[in-house]
Amino acid sequence: MSYFLEQVLNGLSYGLVLSLIAAGFAIVFTSTGVLNFAHGSVVLLGAYLVAVLHDTIGFWPAVLVGLAGAAVVGVAINALLVRNLADPNPGTAAILMLGVDIVLLTELTRRIGNQVLTLGAPWGASVVRLGDVTLPTGRVLAAGVTVVAFGALWYLFSRTDLGVGMRAAAADGPTASLMGIRLSRTAATGWALAGILAAVAGIFLTSFPAPGVAPTVALSAFAAIPAWVLGGFDSVPGAVVGGLLIGLTSALVTGYEAELEPFLGSGFGEVAPYVVMIVVLLVRPSGLLGSKEAVRV
Amino acid sequence: MKHRVRAATLAAAALALAACSTTAPTASGGGGGDDVRTGNGVTADGITIGMITDLSGPFAAGAAVQVTETQAYWDQVNADGGICDRDVTVDVQDHGYDPQRAVTLYRSMAPDVVALQQVLGGPTSAAVLPLAEQDSVYVGGVGWAGSALAYENNQLPGASNAIQAANAIDYMVDELDVPEGSTVGVVYFTGDYGGDALAGAEHAAEERGLQILAQEITPATTDLSAQASALAQADVAGVVLAAAPTQLASLAGVLSSQGADVPIIGMNPTFNPSLLTTPAADALLANAYSMTSVSPYDNPDSPGVQAANELYASADPTGATGWEVPLAYVQAELLRQALEGACESGDLTPEGVVAAFRDGGEVDTEGVLPDGLDYSQVGQSPTTTVFVSKVSADAEAGLELLDQVSGPSAESFSYGG
Repeated sequence: MSYFLEQVLNGLSYGLVLSLIAAGFAIVFTSTGVLNFAHGSVVLLGAYLVAVLHDTIGFWPAVLVGLAGAAVVGVAINALLVRNLADPNPGTAAILMLGVDIVLLTELTRRIGNQVLTLGAPWGASVVRLGDVTLPTGRVLAAGVTVVAFGALWYLFSRTDLGVGMRAAAADGPTASLMGIRLSRTAATGWALAGILAAVAGIFLTSFPAPGVAPTVALSAFAAIPAWVLGGFDSVPGAVVGGLLIGLTSALVTGYEAELEPFLGSGFGEVAPYVVMIVVLLVRPSGLLGSKEAVRV
Repeated sequence: MKHRVRAATLAAAALALAACSTTAPTASGGGGGDDVRTGNGVTADGITIGMITDLSGPFAAGAAVQVTETQAYWDQVNADGGICDRDVTVDVQDHGYDPQRAVTLYRSMAPDVVALQQVLGGPTSAAVLPLAEQDSVYVGGVGWAGSALAYENNQLPGASNAIQAANAIDYMVDELDVPEGSTVGVVYFTGDYGGDALAGAEHAAEERGLQILAQEITPATTDLSAQASALAQADVAGVVLAAAPTQLASLAGVLSSQGADVPIIGMNPTFNPSLLTTPAADALLANAYSMTSVSPYDNPDSPGVQAANELYASADPTGATGWEVPLAYVQAELLRQALEGACESGDLTPEGVVAAFRDGGEVDTEGVLPDGLDYSQVGQSPTTTVFVSKVSADAEAGLELLDQVSGPSAESFSYGG
């Protein structure tokens, strides 16, 4: 029983980190209609900044720089590239984002080299024991931080003028614009928020139980895509549910691989998230919590 | 009009033929005055070899170390008089870990090189090997996947992944007190590398009376919590890991945090010295071993490794040290011996180079690879001997060489049998 509980808690805590990334995808999509395939590189960038700066300025200041850096890059991608697209349809923007991803990832890979850069996180490799269940401290912290982050997002979207403006712009841009909402401002805020969430996720994806920052972290971020899609392209709560579902599925299928292998073969843990996504989309084509009008490519 | 179309077709056909043609072997030594038959990539005073590597993709950093070492190696060979009285030039091209680009590069390079010292990467080399085999072009440095052994033109730098994994199981039983009847975990990457290692481990487990708990992962799996919990739950007595450094550190760290202090033996590229700066360092120092085809960087008893390291230190004094240095050196060394063999037999053509390394003659790498390499048998690993190292904070590049081993299961393993 404690083994089952351990895998469930592992899965949920990992799922919450995935949901941070998935929420970033969803926020960019609702604020500017862009499928942001450069998001994985922004996740890596945030973690990279912390890894290279923690020695000189300390871990927590480095975290602030990492968060700010990822936000600035997000805003810059929007301001310099997305807003200047001659043909602003989601397909063109998605291909542009693939290009941005390649450029960012190549540069970060060049800088990281074949090293695994340590993040210098103060929680190191410590673990929390709850009875027979052992969880990495980093994962417990990740769960706490993610809950706080989503609480803050809920407050932003439902209680502040800026958040309400963002929701209005997402629902009907031209009308929101006529009502005096500056679309450029809501879009920039969306990209900045997505960047900050990506950097937070990057920090937890590269601290224990993962060893540090390596270029493959950008690939791990793609594990959040099924979470984003099955939650609904444009829904932040959907991203949270999607992340939890994917995290839980991966952990349980991997944890019980020996028992499942006779039916499903080996390595099913890697495929399971996509199977869940396809099943959900067959039942609910707009995702779990997505709005039916969402544009798809 | 008809004539014009015909003329255009003929011209196009002629162009295509010209593009596809390869230099026919000449008996006059390419005008060099010696009696050596020459072909693609060899002129009267020069030999061109190729290297299709990854200078812009995920393995760029390690590949750059190998390029530096390779250039330094051939510069030294040239300074010492070259091969067959000819200077050797290395044509380095970047495939960016893209198999399609690797194939295109191969097609454009094949008419101008006598051999390819390296095609880096599993999927990229898998795309190039069959084409190169058709053209009888030597290909070295493609990693250690057993699938590459089937190609006559491929020279594997040491024991294949299956042999490494079989040795890992033997070493656990013989030296690390893993008892008969216990379960051993195998965590492996999907694909050639991991699949081959799993095959070797399964064979050895059967021979030594162990159970295997296999966990398949991809390079994107950087958090191995779920896998580690499953291994700890099965009470494994050891783990064989066919993955990358990130996975080694994660697995060692999580297993140790769960109180499962069992030996973890990683295959060739699984260790990187920078792991010793991560939070997993203590767990790695306590439990991690490396089972490699090529000697680790720190091997004072091997003149070959010393020569490799000195060459690299003079070529790039601030460069990253690690297993890539002896690997690149020995890939160049294997090709040099094949080229010299081809020269001696009077056939310095691509076919001649392949025949030279397959002739069953002695291959001496001065301790960079195990002694007694046998390349005469296509389809089987050239050796069953591997290097065992322990992760150590005191050793250069983090690996302390413990021994060279050839276990009973490694020796009884046979591809296709």
